[in-house]
Amino acid sequence: MTSYALLFTLSAIGISETMYLIRKRIASQKPVCPVGDNCSLVLESKYNKIFVIPNDILGLLFYITISFISAFLVIGVEPLVFWDFIFKISILFGSILSLVFTYIQWRIIKAWCFWCLMSAFTIWLMGIIIMSTLLINNII
Amino acid sequence: MKKTAFHFLRVGLAITFLWIGVLILKNPESWSGYLQPWVYGLLPLPIEQAMLGTAILDIVIGAMLLLDVFTWIAALVASLHLVIVLTVSGITDITVRDIGLLVAGLALMIDSIPQKMLNKIKLNK
Repeated sequence: MTSYALLFTLSAIGISETMYLIRKRIASQKPVCPVGDNCSLVLESKYNKIFVIPNDILGLLFYITISFISAFLVIGVEPLVFWDFIFKISILFGSILSLVFTYIQWRIIKAWCFWCLMSAFTIWLMGIIIMSTLLINNII
Repeated sequence: MKKTAFHFLRVGLAITFLWIGVLILKNPESWSGYLQPWVYGLLPLPIEQAMLGTAILDIVIGAMLLLDVFTWIAALVASLHLVIVLTVSGITDITVRDIGLLVAGLALMIDSIPQKMLNKIKLNK
């Protein structure tokens, strides 16, 4: 229950962050870049979408999915095993994708984007919470 | 209010409302235990349905605050909702927390009222 509350909180932070980026992109405005000044370089690079879908939209969908599933798991919406499986797979997939995007910023674009890193850390923190919960429950 | 502080307050309050909504949906009956006995007689519908309605209202307020959509309306409804919560739950150990949330909601509402509306209010004076 506590871990779901934390995961829900993190996903809500992710939703607000991606909504901010989507709004800025639609308005053709540069987002505030609290650390460094290379956010636009990363956000406007050729790696800013997967196929035709912008990464901010994919991120928003990911965070919305996580928030809904954590709510389902707390409320007890059946089938719980299915939701739990989707939940863990989504966070695993998100963590790997975040690693790839962080590598792209580091080695290929050679610029750091505050919002992209914040999103990556949010997803990795979700992964750490899931792993810790599994360890505490002696599942791993 | 400084813009960054406003967004911190908005997202924080949104998470609170969303999560409370989820918890009420999980167990509406136990949340009805916070109500004062006199409230039961005033309700036009069964207590469980009233609590489910409260949960949905909380989630809608939370979603609007989180997505930054009609924030001032969401904050206004949140504040009114909290006034009702304070009235129907009486003074308990957690009243002070609800007062904190009410003031946070009012701060958000005051800071996010559209300029057009403020101008209208000024013109009417």
